[in-house]
Amino acid sequence: MRQSLTAVLERDTTFGTGFATEPYEVAWASEARWFVQHVGGTGTATYVTQVSPDGITWCDLDELEHVAVPGKLVSWPATGFGHWLRLRAKVEGSVQVRIHLAVKA
Amino acid sequence: MTTSDVRAALLAADPRLSKFSPLPRILAFDEFDSGTHGWTELLGNYNGRGDLSTVDDHMRDFRPPQLSACNFFDIGTHGALSGTYALKLATRPYKGHTAVAIRRLTMSGRGLVQLETYFAFKSEATLGGGAELDNFGDVQWDGNTHPSEAQFGAFTVATDLCGDGGLRYHTVARYQNTDLDNHFTRQWIAPTVPEPTPREHFEGKVKLPYAADFTAPNPEDWQAFGEPQELCYNEVPTKVNWHYLRWLIDTDKRKNVELQVNDRVMDMRDVPVPPYEERYETLENLLNFYFSVRTHSSVRNFLFLDSVLISVDW
Repeated sequence: MRQSLTAVLERDTTFGTGFATEPYEVAWASEARWFVQHVGGTGTATYVTQVSPDGITWCDLDELEHVAVPGKLVSWPATGFGHWLRLRAKVEGSVQVRIHLAVKA
Repeated sequence: MTTSDVRAALLAADPRLSKFSPLPRILAFDEFDSGTHGWTELLGNYNGRGDLSTVDDHMRDFRPPQLSACNFFDIGTHGALSGTYALKLATRPYKGHTAVAIRRLTMSGRGLVQLETYFAFKSEATLGGGAELDNFGDVQWDGNTHPSEAQFGAFTVATDLCGDGGLRYHTVARYQNTDLDNHFTRQWIAPTVPEPTPREHFEGKVKLPYAADFTAPNPEDWQAFGEPQELCYNEVPTKVNWHYLRWLIDTDKRKNVELQVNDRVMDMRDVPVPPYEERYETLENLLNFYFSVRTHSSVRNFLFLDSVLISVDW
């Protein structure tokens, strides 16, 4: 049986500027998938997956940007990420976001 | 050879269990090298539409637990006491913020309940900055002591219990490393009032802000028990030394019994356990345990749990 875990990193939080999610440690996992849902607000946000060796210093995992608009759920995978994950977001307008991180060994 | 002799021999011969002293019946043995074992994020209550804006501000952001290899910037993977992974609670870097992991069971009897764990506590390492970061709270870096120790606030082990016709109460033990002004207290404390509930907010009696202390928001509603205790922080924020904790309560008498932390055993029989005045429905036989960690600085605080064992005498 594979191990799996879903963490809710933002729970209907409102942002009016750019933000980054709290660091999440996933050393045990081999694959991950982000689910980003804009549950409120009229703005849009652009997300990039970031990785870190220590939970303190960060760089982008790849050059892929993911755009979320009001009322929509967007999702994308992450693999080969090392031991820490977070999202950085660039926000235009005001957004209310729910962010799930689903990881599997 | 008696049955208890056989049991003691079996426990002593099992390296996973021999580091614990369980009561006769083991309800849960949670070694976090094999998953989260039902320790999950706590969230306040919400309405029938799943509208999370109805969750109390101080109970909406307790953060999800993490399976941590204890990875650090300076030495890489530290690992846990048992295998590679520990359960980690991590606060936000926001003064007063609390991270909570809760485990939900129910009681099939009444009597002694014991929780044992191996834990470590840490502040997040700080990289860069100026010489002013060598001072914090009561600490000036001197080659041994490290300012990050003063950036750690408190960790708590507690229960949420209900039975006997809806009588609800909490037993609580908190290690307060520093006060809210970041001065060392290194004292075990317990609340003298029951935990605020979402219904009190719903009825307009209390509304607590984000990062309020959800266990008992007023610092004056806590009292010390036992003598101050110095734990092993081990000088820098990235050395993990595991501490033993054993906490015994009595759900028949609805009382604390004792708390052992490393070589210190504290009598908790006189530590009050204030019940709620009103009776609760749908919580009959509730047997919840939680750990929390609270930062008193703008630095993330962590509580690592290697493993947890819950045992009873019923």
